[in-house]
Amino acid sequence: MESSAPVATPFAAETAGLTKRYPLTWKRKVLVALDHLDLQVRPGEVFGLLGPNGSGKSTTLKLLLGLIVPSAGEARVFGLPPDSLEARRRVGFLPENPYFYGFLNGDETLRFYGKLCGVTGPRLERRIEELIELVGLQNGRERPLRSYSKGMLQRIGLAQALIHDPDLLFLDEPTAGVDPLGSAQIRDLILRLKTMGKTVIFSSHLLEQVQEVADRVAIFSLGKKVLEGSLESLLTENQSTQINIPAELSAGQQERLRAAIAQAGVDDRDVRFTRPHLSLEQLYLRTVQAQADLASKNHPGK
Amino acid sequence: MISSLYRIFTIGRNTLTESIRQKVLNVLLIFALVLVASSFAFSGLGTPGLDASGMFDAQIKFVKDAGCGAIGIFGFLITLLSTAQLIPQELHNRTIYTILAKPVRRSEFLLGKFVGMVLLLTLCTALMSLAFAATLYWQEKQAVEQTEAVYDRDSRWKADPGRVADYNHDVAGIVAQIRDPQLVEAVLLIYFKLLMTTAIALLISTFATSSIFTIVTTFLIYLIGHMEGTARDFWLASGANSSIWQSGLVGFISLLIPDMNSFTIVDEILAGNKVPWTHMLNLLGYADVYIIVLLAVSVVIFDYREI
Repeated sequence: MESSAPVATPFAAETAGLTKRYPLTWKRKVLVALDHLDLQVRPGEVFGLLGPNGSGKSTTLKLLLGLIVPSAGEARVFGLPPDSLEARRRVGFLPENPYFYGFLNGDETLRFYGKLCGVTGPRLERRIEELIELVGLQNGRERPLRSYSKGMLQRIGLAQALIHDPDLLFLDEPTAGVDPLGSAQIRDLILRLKTMGKTVIFSSHLLEQVQEVADRVAIFSLGKKVLEGSLESLLTENQSTQINIPAELSAGQQERLRAAIAQAGVDDRDVRFTRPHLSLEQLYLRTVQAQADLASKNHPGK
Repeated sequence: MISSLYRIFTIGRNTLTESIRQKVLNVLLIFALVLVASSFAFSGLGTPGLDASGMFDAQIKFVKDAGCGAIGIFGFLITLLSTAQLIPQELHNRTIYTILAKPVRRSEFLLGKFVGMVLLLTLCTALMSLAFAATLYWQEKQAVEQTEAVYDRDSRWKADPGRVADYNHDVAGIVAQIRDPQLVEAVLLIYFKLLMTTAIALLISTFATSSIFTIVTTFLIYLIGHMEGTARDFWLASGANSSIWQSGLVGFISLLIPDMNSFTIVDEILAGNKVPWTHMLNLLGYADVYIIVLLAVSVVIFDYREI
């Protein structure tokens, strides 16, 4: 049992050697859903978890929420054990493909979750008004959730995750199955949350959206974190140099510059005047593929 | 402590709202139909003759049997089917994640679900009892009218003090049978038996992987609970013939599975025999202790369950 005493830490969420194994008794095997994850997320950051299905993203979120117990290692949220009530008062969670209670309408749903968080009376009603406005669900207040579209469900899901004004939000595939417009609205919401000083840890398959909102990302494959860093550092090609000149160069000027570079001993044939960037998608595919190749080389029969 | 109770009650109320909006109470319409149909079917059992005394006894007994039987059966169906759905549905819809990610303990979630079922069963038992009372009232009215009709065959009976005294005696007999305060005890016993069944089903659903498993297992335990008293009496009565293993097994089953047969005392009540309140309170106390033990075990198992 973890101690409920908070540990002084500068991180909103952190894990050390966090591992989750599921014994497959009937196959006499052990499935390693997450393997020795070390991760630190600072307050105010938007952190993206990327990876194919079954790579350990949802397991990481569930472990950080204290919904499942780690097989080894430790997770902390604001220095607290994630299954403590103190930690849960500071976090909000939107699960993947949430259904919620179809028999409740939008207002009733938020009222129910608010009461569970100890938000009551006029404060709760005020909060409901604010959140309905924030997620743009004015037309869903009186409708039962069973009649909601996928996008509306995600938005009410975000609202319930925010009902107690948490400092840290976990969003599991917040845009899965949502149309591009709804998806863009959720992306804008995440950006608004960032300006409000919230920490957001989310998993997604939509790489372009991750690129638009995340400060840092971690890429998972086969239960392991294989890459982590800021988008800026990860997407920059370090084998090239970009020279920024705040002026439009004529063809003659470009030729003279090329000659100067050649004079400096650099082969001028490959010189370009733009800084090359990988797209996040390229980086993601390359990383995941390399990991899969490595795994198939180490375990050919798998 | 108070905030914990508040969370349990919030989850309980939501569970009740769910049952009501999912039209669980519609089952009670069938209950009302069964009750009215049985009331009509048994109304022919009274055979009016010249002497009205005791002619409605069988009819009233049948209606009381049918009413209490229907409350027990419909209550059992509601409790079994609703409780077996509680946790699998939360897991399937992933709503359990949104609740347990809030400052809610697992024990509070589970107890909240139990409170929801208690509220639902209280509501259902109250509504069924009301319908039962209405049927009995209608029976009383019919029986009194028919008794009067028998006396009216002699148009001068009201002038005869002896006949008037007989009439008053017959009517008082009907009213006493129908407005029997022991019926409250009978309904209370049925209600507590339903609560025990809920606690058993909830315990099984904490480790079951499907609703069907919960339904079948609870039903089996319910049956064994009805038979264990007979088995215990048989083995213990055989005295020296029963081995230590047999006695041990019966003792173990008695400890593990609640003795549902004790609640068949309802039949005694319906047969018109007096059951003292002290015995009633003993039985209700037994049910309470069992429910508390079952809930405590459920909480421990659910605490360790991977969701």
